[in-house]
Amino acid sequence: MIIQVRGLRKQYGDNVALQALDLEIEAGGVVGILGPNGAGKTTFVEIVEGLRDATSGSVSVLGMDPASQGPELRERLGVQLQKTALPTELTVREMLDLFAAFYTSALPTDSILQKINLLSQADQKADTLSGGQQQRLVVGIALIHDPEIVILDEPTTGLDPKARRDLHGVIRELREQGRTTILTTHYIEEAELLCDRVIMMRSGEIVADGTPFDLVGQSSESSTIWIHVDGDMDPAPMIAAGVEPLGQQGDHHKFATTDPTATILALGDMLRSQGLSLVDLRLKRPTLEDVYLELMGDVPADDDQAIDDGAGS
Amino acid sequence: MSTPLRGLGPLTRAYLLQSFRSRTAIFWNLVFPMVWLFLFGFIFYRGQPTLMMPGLLTITLISGSFFGVSYLMVSEREAGILRRYRVTPVSATTVVLANAIRALVTLTISVTAQATVGWLVFRYEVNGSLLLTAAIMLLGGAAFVPLGMFVGSVAEDMRSAPAISNLLFFPLVFGSGAAFPAFLLPGWIQSVMRIIPSSYLVEALQGVMIRGQGVMELIGPITVLLLTLVIGAWLNSRLFRWETTQPLDKRAVLTTVAVLLALFLAAAFLAPAFEMVTRPGS
Repeated sequence: MIIQVRGLRKQYGDNVALQALDLEIEAGGVVGILGPNGAGKTTFVEIVEGLRDATSGSVSVLGMDPASQGPELRERLGVQLQKTALPTELTVREMLDLFAAFYTSALPTDSILQKINLLSQADQKADTLSGGQQQRLVVGIALIHDPEIVILDEPTTGLDPKARRDLHGVIRELREQGRTTILTTHYIEEAELLCDRVIMMRSGEIVADGTPFDLVGQSSESSTIWIHVDGDMDPAPMIAAGVEPLGQQGDHHKFATTDPTATILALGDMLRSQGLSLVDLRLKRPTLEDVYLELMGDVPADDDQAIDDGAGS
Repeated sequence: MSTPLRGLGPLTRAYLLQSFRSRTAIFWNLVFPMVWLFLFGFIFYRGQPTLMMPGLLTITLISGSFFGVSYLMVSEREAGILRRYRVTPVSATTVVLANAIRALVTLTISVTAQATVGWLVFRYEVNGSLLLTAAIMLLGGAAFVPLGMFVGSVAEDMRSAPAISNLLFFPLVFGSGAAFPAFLLPGWIQSVMRIIPSSYLVEALQGVMIRGQGVMELIGPITVLLLTLVIGAWLNSRLFRWETTQPLDKRAVLTTVAVLLALFLAAAFLAPAFEMVTRPGS
C-alpha cells in the first residue's frame, strides 16, 4: 500500500470536513476523487501532502507521516495545488529550474518542457501563457523531481475542451510510466475516461469506491434500449416481461430496463413471434454520471465551499 | 537527505530577477530614494548637504526594509506562492534567508544610487572612513530587514501590511533624528528618542560621516544595531508563516517585542555614557 488512511477525521471548528475516513491506495494507476464542493476532497489531499494536520486518525504515505516527515516525503511526492500562484516575472524555464533546485535530484528541464509541450514557450514569462499552458506548467512543476506519487487537485477546472484534452494526455502518460496519480475533479466524464479507480465523496465520507465499470454496474438506474424494426410492432409482450415501454422516438421504440441482457433476449423472442426483423438496436447503460447523481442527488451544489477552503480560521 | 539550505542560491537569484524586472520594484528601489534626495537637498537641507546625508540614508534603509520587505512577503503569502514552495522540500529558513538577501541587495543598490547621485549633485563631504560608512549602512540594513520581515509575518494580508508598516515607519523616521536634526531639540527629548531603534543608525552614520569618528568611538550604537539584528533574526525563525491560516505564535511576538523594548530602554538609559547625544561637529 502506497497510501494508508485509518479513521481520518478533520474538523474546522464545528464543521466536520472528513469523518473517520478509511482508505488504502495501491501503487500504480490513476485514482479519481469525485464529489461536490465541500465533500472534503481538497482537505483529504492536503492532509496527504502534509499541508494540513488531521484532527484524529492516521495517514501513512510511502510509509511516512506527512505531518512530521514533510520534507522527506515531498522528495517523492509531486503536487499541483488547487489554489496556487506561481512566482511573477520569471520565464517558464526559470520557474522550472527554480523548483528543480529544491530537490535532491530533478529531471532535465528540457525533458519536462517537452512532456508538457511548452518547449517553444520556454523563454516566455509565465504570466503571458494561456490558461491551458499555465496549467500544464503547474503540472510540469509537480513532475520536475520524477515523483512516485502525483497529486493533482482539480487540474482541469476552468480549462477549455482542447486544453483539457492536452492535460488528459499528460495524465495518461503518468499512468503508463507506472506512477500513482491521485486526481480530484468535478468532471465525471474525466474520471470515467482516465481513472482506474473512482472514489466518490460526500460530506466528508466515501460513498462509492471501485472501478468506473463496477460502479456503473452497481447502479440502480435503468438502461435504455432503442429498437427500430421493419414493420408494426406490438410492445405488449415486453410489458409482461417487466420492461417499461417509453413510447416512440422517430422510428425507434424506446424501453427502460434494469436488466438489459434479459430484455434483449425477450425482445428477440417477441420480434420472432411477430415476424419482424431488426433494423437497428441501441443500448445505453447508466453512466458514471447517473451513479454520481444518484449518490449526490440531494446535496445542494456549492454546499459549504468554506470546508474545502479550509476557512473558519 | 534534505539539507536545510538547499535551493538558497537559486531562490535568491529568482527573487532578485523578480525585483530587477518589476517596474514597481524599480520605482521603489531607485526612483523613490531620488525623490527624497532632491526634497532634502533642495528644500529641507539647502546648502548643508553633509548634515543631510546620514538621516537621508537612514530613511532609505528604513523604507526599503519596511515597505519593500513586508509587502513582498505578505503578497507572496497571500497569492499562495509560499504555499506552493511549502509542498517542495525547501525549508522555511531558506525562504526567509533568500528574502533577507534579496532585501539587502536591493537596499545596497538604493543607498549606493542615492549616495552617488547625492554626491554628484550636492557635493557632501564624508569626514570619516568610507569603508566604515558602508559597513554601518550594511549593518543598519541587516538590523532593519528582520524588523520589516516581522511586519510581513504578523500582517494578515495586504490590507493590514501597509497599516502596520506606516505605524512603525513614522516614529522610526521622525522620532530618530533622520528627518530633521535631533540636536535642535532639548536634551531630554533627545534621550527619549533613544527608544527609537533607528536613532542608533542615524547616530552611527553621523558619527562617521560628519564627526569623522572611528569604530571604537561608535561602539555603543553599533552594539545596539548588532543586538537588534540578532533579536530580529531569531524572531523571524519563530514567526515565519507559509500560509495565513497558520496560527501566529503570539508568545514569540510578545517576547520579542518585550526584549526589543528592554534593549532600547537600556540603550536610552546608557546613551549619555556613550556620548551619543552630541551636536554634530561639537
